[in-house]
Amino acid sequence: MPDLTVAENLLLGVTPDRVRPDVSLSSWTTELLESWRTDLKIAPNDRVAELNSEQRFIVEILRALAAEPKVLVLDEPTEHLGPDDVSRLFARIRSLTAAGCAVIYISHRIHEVLSIADRVTVLRDGQSQGTHDAHKLTEQQIVEAIVGRELNREFPRKASHLEHSEIALQVYGYHGKGFTNIGMAVRRGEIVGLAGIDGNGQREFIRALAGLSRAGGSVFINGRPVDTALFGCAAKIGIRYVPGDRHRDGIFGELSVRENVSIRRLSDVSIGRLLVSNGLDTNLARRAVDDFSVKTPSIETPIRLLSGGNQQKVVLSSVLGSSPAVVLIDEPTQGVDVGARMEIYKTLRATAADGIPMIVVSSDAAEIAGLCDRVLIFSRGHIVRELNGEDVTEHNITSSMLTSTSIRHHAKVGASELWKWAAGNWAPIAILCTVIALLGTYAAINNPFYLSERNMIGMLSLVATLSFVAFGQQLLMLVGGIDLSVGPLMGLMLVIQSFYLVDGASMEHQILGWLISFVVAAGVGLTNWLLVVPMRLHPMVATLATFMILQASALILRPVAGGLISEGVTELIMTTWGAVPIGIALAAAMAVGLEISLFRSRWGVSLRGFGSRPEAARLAGVQPGKTLLFAYIGCSIFAAIAAIPMLAQVGSGDPTAGVGYTLASIAAVVIGGASLSGGRGSFLGALLGALLITQVNVVTTFLNLDDAWQSYLLGMMILASVALYSKSRQMAVAV
Amino acid sequence: MSNSESVKVAKGQLLDVVRGRLRIGEFSWVWLATIGLFAASALLAPGSVTIGSLASMLPFAGILAIVAVGQTLVIQQRGLDMSSAGMVSLAGTIAASVGVLTNSIIIAVVAALIAAVVLGIVNGILTSKIGISPLVATLATNAVLIGGVRSTTGNAPISVPESLQAIAHARVAGVPSNILLAVMVVAIAWIVMHKTTIGRRFVAVGINPSAAASAGISLLTYQIGTYVAAALCFAVGGLLLAGFIGSASHTAGNDYLMPAIAAVVVGGTPFTGGRGSVIASAVAALFMTQLSQLVLALGASSAVQLLVQATAILMATALRNLPALLSRLPAVAMVFRGASAAPKCVASNPG
Repeated sequence: MPDLTVAENLLLGVTPDRVRPDVSLSSWTTELLESWRTDLKIAPNDRVAELNSEQRFIVEILRALAAEPKVLVLDEPTEHLGPDDVSRLFARIRSLTAAGCAVIYISHRIHEVLSIADRVTVLRDGQSQGTHDAHKLTEQQIVEAIVGRELNREFPRKASHLEHSEIALQVYGYHGKGFTNIGMAVRRGEIVGLAGIDGNGQREFIRALAGLSRAGGSVFINGRPVDTALFGCAAKIGIRYVPGDRHRDGIFGELSVRENVSIRRLSDVSIGRLLVSNGLDTNLARRAVDDFSVKTPSIETPIRLLSGGNQQKVVLSSVLGSSPAVVLIDEPTQGVDVGARMEIYKTLRATAADGIPMIVVSSDAAEIAGLCDRVLIFSRGHIVRELNGEDVTEHNITSSMLTSTSIRHHAKVGASELWKWAAGNWAPIAILCTVIALLGTYAAINNPFYLSERNMIGMLSLVATLSFVAFGQQLLMLVGGIDLSVGPLMGLMLVIQSFYLVDGASMEHQILGWLISFVVAAGVGLTNWLLVVPMRLHPMVATLATFMILQASALILRPVAGGLISEGVTELIMTTWGAVPIGIALAAAMAVGLEISLFRSRWGVSLRGFGSRPEAARLAGVQPGKTLLFAYIGCSIFAAIAAIPMLAQVGSGDPTAGVGYTLASIAAVVIGGASLSGGRGSFLGALLGALLITQVNVVTTFLNLDDAWQSYLLGMMILASVALYSKSRQMAVAV
Repeated sequence: MSNSESVKVAKGQLLDVVRGRLRIGEFSWVWLATIGLFAASALLAPGSVTIGSLASMLPFAGILAIVAVGQTLVIQQRGLDMSSAGMVSLAGTIAASVGVLTNSIIIAVVAALIAAVVLGIVNGILTSKIGISPLVATLATNAVLIGGVRSTTGNAPISVPESLQAIAHARVAGVPSNILLAVMVVAIAWIVMHKTTIGRRFVAVGINPSAAASAGISLLTYQIGTYVAAALCFAVGGLLLAGFIGSASHTAGNDYLMPAIAAVVVGGTPFTGGRGSVIASAVAALFMTQLSQLVLALGASSAVQLLVQATAILMATALRNLPALLSRLPAVAMVFRGASAAPKCVASNPG
């Protein structure tokens, strides 16, 4: 859950009784972290988004361990760990099993499985291939069980006499995020492997070469200088990239195999590089499927329905067929079954033999050793060793990686303190307070009436209305939702009350009015939830529909404003203490209360955790359906509460009085620091956002500014605040 | 046959019916619905399908269709453009003020289109480069645009040059120019999307931006280009609207924000990005406009009109999800309990 701190993530991993009340959360966390390694350099209050992937993994493993599980399932736990941490993990697993815990360890890394497991079960195509005692199995036997047939583990023959072929790619003094001063050359027909413990710059280096991140230095392709930093340019000059994370970066899941093949080769299937020819397109896809023996029902099948190996073959065919000048491949066989692996190796070698040079990054030393003509070892962003010819062996690669990383430091990301502060929880609140104070002072100097009791009461009651509805919006936005229907719901509340809270109505009648309006509000929240969760409508679409229905209902009940609210009721709502209306006092108290529970209670942490990463929160025991139901109903109830101060401001059943509050509430929470995608937000921020928006509207009239300024200022406030928050959050995130 | 068995059979039949219909394809529903709507109009309120009433309805449907095409492009890129309201208003206002100032309708139109390009670039940079969520970014630019319109018009409608009015009311071979332009906009958008390399890359960026970047597609070009194309559609819609009703104001665009989004939804373009159909959105715009006409002709209030439109949205979206929902009824309970997510059901027919 990236938006939560390390401590909060660990807290959500355990049942409440695991944390002793006499120990503070941060010292409990520190103790846990130090139980792993004392030089971790992770602080309990670091946001997980700001950790690097290795640190995140350690936190995740610690979270699982902290729960003192009876059964522990680990799925590829060592993917991001250095060898020292792998041995720490194995030591922890051994002590867990000694204490009676059962561990299921899922991994592709056979030698690790053999070293940790008591018994091994091999699954192939969803069927068990039998369970055996680990010490009775050899690596070769496991591989055979996975493949299902006697496998030729021979890699294809390597190239020879490369020293005579010309240099295709040359790099001097190349530097960027994660790597410095890289110099290397690749000859035509050569496959160069980049090896190193994960996170030593090899991956960042080829991503930069592919034009996906900024880098400096000089790059020559076939002797001509090129600029990879220009976006999209690397591909144009023939540097082609096969990403390691296939699902995220490699395939277009919803598109057909045909479209996935041609997306990198559009110039081959189009006339004049503009008009796509269906015939060429289909032929190209057919040929790719035949040449790479891709197993797919048809070329129109969406690629996401194919197996990992076949998806990888499609991506490779698309890249290799685009007549590249050089191919960069990150993890050529990740998530590919052993059979397809061998086919991929053969294809790569055959393509290289045609004169296309390749750079391969892989965390599998055996793969690098078997596939590559030459291997460069990366450590801390530098090339520390080069292995050639006979020296390219798995043993040499692994030992160079290990010896060179002995001095590896676990670096912390260097985001500046200012950005980190701006990305924190307190920055929006501090900034808003300052702006509000400055604006207020300026207005008071220019127009003394601004500070008068009457103006303050008027302004603060409007703030009360907006902040209540903003609390609702905030609650929902924390879990990644949005509710457009709050505005018309407020109007409908007003209309309903205007039938009950009138002069001469009995107490029972009035209570009935309150009851009905809150039941209606809860019903609206339930409806929104039903549409979004079980019916799977997009929140915007669902609440747009309820927006229209509520507006229509209000207009049907009262086509025009009417039904004066009894003065007894409005006076009660308008109770003030000095210049402070009771509404804003309640709103402020509620904001503080909600804020504290949001950051201190398990309830609040779960809510933010769910918004931050629903899947991770679900694994930590947060129930998605209930959490969302709570947020949707809560949002509508807050809108109903917001209608109460509005009752006194409007004074009658005006069906359209609430409409503007939909967008205003969104603006308020966004200015208050909420993230629309969930996980980040603050009720105090929402309160201050509501205050600022109302204040700007009031101040423009006080300063005799044109009405247009209300719009200008609102737009600019939203842009300025959101630009600052999102930029700072990007800057603070680890790479 | 026992009671529970017959329920089972009924449920099975219902599933078959719904699934069978779905083979029509996700973007074809709206055609059926529109044909059905006109048939119903002819039966229930023949007055709403006379030449005269069609001639008064179609120009507005055309404008809505043009705006909806722009919105479809943005929604296909997982975006949303709330500044459409401001842009529709601003285009009319620029046409009115620049037109009167320079006495040239060409300069006025060009000025409005330039404003659209600028807005599109700003929206595109805010959402892609700075990373502000589209809803918020365009909400903010919309506020700024409305501010601009209010300072220009002084909060009162201003009239647009005669020549623009003449264009908006012109007929070519008996077809109103609004309709003609709408058909042109839709046709251009469709050809670009389906027949060109630009369209292929555009769809790829919408489906998976990071894969598109890895494939060497310049993300920024397409993301900004989308907002520019959308803003141009809004500007054309705004110009036609101002010309047709003869005046421009800061509220003119409001009627084209939510209804255009509704048209995109009814047309079947999902908010999740990637796939989309500009034609379906345009047909849905016609559907929504005629639906309002029918409801009005039946003597219902504007409130009922809203209700009917909301129902149309819910029908359009819920019907698509119904097969998936029915087939995982037991799983719905599990969603609530937080048990493992329901198995993904491939019910809709991509086509």
